[in-house]
Amino acid sequence: MNTDDMIVKIVSKNFDIPNSHTLDVALKNGRYESIDKLFTMDPDDVTEEVCKSGLRGKGGGGAACGPKWKLMPPLDERPRYLIANGDESEPGTFKDRQIFQYDPHLLIEGIICSSYAIGAHDCFIYIRGEYKFFIDRLNAAIEEAYEAGIIGEKVMNKYDYRMNITVHRGGGAYICGEKSALIESIEGKRGHPRLKPHGKECEWFFGQPATVNNVETIASVPNIVLNGYESYTKYGTEKAPGTMLFAMSGPVKKPGVYELQYGCKMTDVIEQIGGGMKEGLKLKAVIPGGASCPILTAEEVDKAYLDYETMWSIGSTLGTGGMMIIPEGVSMVDVAKNLIEFYHHESCGQCTPCREGCGWIDTIIKRILDGKGTVSDLTTILDVCETMNGKTVCVFAPAVKDIIKSLVQKYRDEFISYIETTEKQGDAING
Amino acid sequence: MGEVVNITVNGAQFEAEKGSLLIDKLLDENIHIPHFCYHQALGKDGNCRMCMVEIEGQKRPQIACDTPIKEGMEVRTKGENIEKVRKDILELELINHPIDCPTCDQAGECKLQDYYMESGFYESRVNVDAKTHHAKRIDLGSNVMLDRERCVLCTRCTRFCSDITKTSELAVMGRSDHSYIGTFPGRPLDNPYAMNVVDLCPVGALTSKDFRFKQRVWFMNSFNAICNGCSKGCNITVDHRKEKYKNDEIFRFRPRRNDTINGFFMCDEGRLSYHKENENRFVTPLLEHNESNNSDIIANIFKYLSTSKEVLFLVGPSLSTEEMKNINNLASKLKVTISGYSPDTFDESFGDDYLKNNDRATNRTSFKKIGINEDKTIFKKALNAASVVIIIDNTYFENNLALLEGKRIISLFSHTCKVIEKSDVALPIASFYEKTGTYTNCDGIEQRVVSKMKKDNAALTITAVLENLKDMIGKGKL
Amino acid sequence: MGKFSYTQENEKEFERILKKYPNSDAMMLPGLWLVQEQEGWVSPDAMVFMADRLGKSPIEVHSFASFYTMFNLKPIGTYHIELCKTLSCMIMGAPELKRYIKETLGISPGETSADGKFHFSEVECQGACGGAPMIALNHTYHENLTVEKLENIIKGCK
Repeated sequence: MNTDDMIVKIVSKNFDIPNSHTLDVALKNGRYESIDKLFTMDPDDVTEEVCKSGLRGKGGGGAACGPKWKLMPPLDERPRYLIANGDESEPGTFKDRQIFQYDPHLLIEGIICSSYAIGAHDCFIYIRGEYKFFIDRLNAAIEEAYEAGIIGEKVMNKYDYRMNITVHRGGGAYICGEKSALIESIEGKRGHPRLKPHGKECEWFFGQPATVNNVETIASVPNIVLNGYESYTKYGTEKAPGTMLFAMSGPVKKPGVYELQYGCKMTDVIEQIGGGMKEGLKLKAVIPGGASCPILTAEEVDKAYLDYETMWSIGSTLGTGGMMIIPEGVSMVDVAKNLIEFYHHESCGQCTPCREGCGWIDTIIKRILDGKGTVSDLTTILDVCETMNGKTVCVFAPAVKDIIKSLVQKYRDEFISYIETTEKQGDAING
Repeated sequence: MGEVVNITVNGAQFEAEKGSLLIDKLLDENIHIPHFCYHQALGKDGNCRMCMVEIEGQKRPQIACDTPIKEGMEVRTKGENIEKVRKDILELELINHPIDCPTCDQAGECKLQDYYMESGFYESRVNVDAKTHHAKRIDLGSNVMLDRERCVLCTRCTRFCSDITKTSELAVMGRSDHSYIGTFPGRPLDNPYAMNVVDLCPVGALTSKDFRFKQRVWFMNSFNAICNGCSKGCNITVDHRKEKYKNDEIFRFRPRRNDTINGFFMCDEGRLSYHKENENRFVTPLLEHNESNNSDIIANIFKYLSTSKEVLFLVGPSLSTEEMKNINNLASKLKVTISGYSPDTFDESFGDDYLKNNDRATNRTSFKKIGINEDKTIFKKALNAASVVIIIDNTYFENNLALLEGKRIISLFSHTCKVIEKSDVALPIASFYEKTGTYTNCDGIEQRVVSKMKKDNAALTITAVLENLKDMIGKGKL
Repeated sequence: MGKFSYTQENEKEFERILKKYPNSDAMMLPGLWLVQEQEGWVSPDAMVFMADRLGKSPIEVHSFASFYTMFNLKPIGTYHIELCKTLSCMIMGAPELKRYIKETLGISPGETSADGKFHFSEVECQGACGGAPMIALNHTYHENLTVEKLENIIKGCK
């Protein structure tokens, strides 16, 4: 596939327009066009349209958005909430910030559409605390929207639908990106994920029905409302229709965020869109969708296509689509240490396997790096990964298992070389 | 009770309420299910992951504390797979746990120890030096000591303070494996039920400062009893030991579960009241203020009863029902007045809306049933008329000694008091925890205490004294 | 250390934000941010203040604040340098920047410079991987750093 086929600008349509974040420019470039169409539709029809579009959650899980909206109970006198997840803390992921920075009004428009579909009149956008610049920009756009009467007691000054949007600034905790931990955080508690319900049901915010959606997912809704589901299904693959904001980081010539339709060949994306590896560097591995995915060796990268199903079939996951490109010369044991430190710091500490397991694996890898490791340490790491898998409150621990297990299994030789010698294999890129 | 359904656990059939928690059923049926964070008084938290069970048809093991019972559920708590899961999770609980057993008070009643021994797993894969470190001797207040290294972060203590006492002095701080429990500077653990967290803590992180380093639990013997701190009659376990060359001594009280009275807990004052039990014992009988012996004393009591016309029996409201009946019978036979007047045991500042009751006596309810009068006027009249007052475990006169002027006083007490010094005849008797008896609490619930204490030179029980007197009355002339 | 209270402005802001939520418990995060923006850190007095405001106990506020890494529970220097250490930044040169900071400012992660001007922290992924390596200086992102660029940024901190 060539670049023009791969790049499809739906969410990122206005990103390159100067001052696209201001209301003036936004209105001149198609913002809020979907609202008139929205209010001619029944909320359930909006949900149907989103179901038919096959829109999948862009926060890393890839669960279908429409069916998730259907989990809200039938309308009654209880208040209902939409909660936008802008906690973006997955290493390698920096795409939601583009929406805050370049097209915050798209997010507001998406919130209006999504809230209408699920019967919510209040939306809280949870943004990670570190994103101060983006929070300020989003708040400015929300101010503009209130002043212009786009939201508030009425929508677009004419539709009798109260819509209130509030930005909630996080305090620095990756785990608050997990939807139940996010709600706990807004509710004024530590971000401990909740025990999962036994059947499918909606989320609960202060005891009232709520839906949590990723910011990019919400931003994808206006297009589906305005142009119908086929405008989305015509791109991507059958099971993963539409587009996603993919990101590339590491030593490629053009790192950044690019909106692509699903299903592109990974090497095409890295070569053509990312510009390929920087001068003199060779690709060693890619972690395809943010850190919480099994790593792909260079051979596996050749077989990879950027959609959920293909990724599963080669033993990895698409996650957030944030590709972390690792060049030859970087020690995979360093990579493992770097990532396990991340998980060790970010574990909420609530349940035993994750809390203790992350720390233990961190200690073992440090010992290996210090030249004091043994071969049985590798078995221990894999054992601990197994204990953490599927026995915890949330999916943080299985994510640790995904990346660490894949590193230890696929790069066993590098780990062994530390154990057998005290010399580091290869030189790190920057000294 | 909701709909009853059938389930099997390890092949055995059980009936259970649909939708209730699986762990409750397992605990109620005494099926062994290791767990730390679940507690039937506090509910579930789902953080320890120890109560995992296999459920037929479910790919992954489930935590029993968050599994609602369904018809036909097949549960396995035993078997290679689930035992390996349990062992792995236990291994993780232990990796940062300090090897304090030789100096930890919890040894012998520690869940970690118990589960470790069960899983038969002796080699540790962790270097001792690599364990995380925390402060080890923190006085939280209210006689509770915290050792942060031992804590398994089950949050039972924090949930107790927030949900049961609603005082929220304890919380988890930090994140990941650097999380720890603590109080706010200047705001120590300070509520009337604080020491219950020591029982709740499944490991030695929270221990009783009062019991610290006093006894190894496996040396102590236990018997069931009730607290005698007030009329609630909270159920307790009395832990005592007769060390070589020493007398049988009580080392602590622990609350015992009773769903109709105190649930799982007791107040701190009651818990520490074993000190009162041990201290200030009245040991040597006194006759005319001189040391005497039991048989002489009883003979003298018989003499007074035979020769005096106006006798008043004043009985205390913490005597057992049997003792009260016996004394009442004797009083009737002798045709003398008996009164249970004892307003001094009421303490308006003590009672609360949970377990503590204003009346610090254990068996006042029985006075009415037996027919022992408590009326002030009747008492005052009888006191005026009496020439001999026999005071049995009643503390009314402690602050009213003047009223005893000019009277002959016979007193029977287990602990020293001012009345004994004023008495003509004073006999030590067995204390509350040294005898067997029935007590009816403030809600009308009857409970029986059977003592297993084996004291050297044990004092006579009131029943024994009365048997003696009845014997003498039977043989002699009145 | 005296008792804590909001400035008049922050008091107004607190009340304004409070109205947006169905329950005052939600004010934990916004309330503590106002505290930190006012004082630079969250002191025990501020925790007592927050506890009273929201009907919680002070330890509950401490429990909350200590969970989130961005709340300073101790005063720090005027300029907070947060260097991202996670994978893409590590590969693209964060270790070199860390070395530079140690050599010029004399501080390792977690330390404040002797003159109290700079506090240095190593932080996890800041969501700027495409611009690796990067620092956040008092929460403002500076991406695509080189040692020279970092030098200029530090020099610009008066």
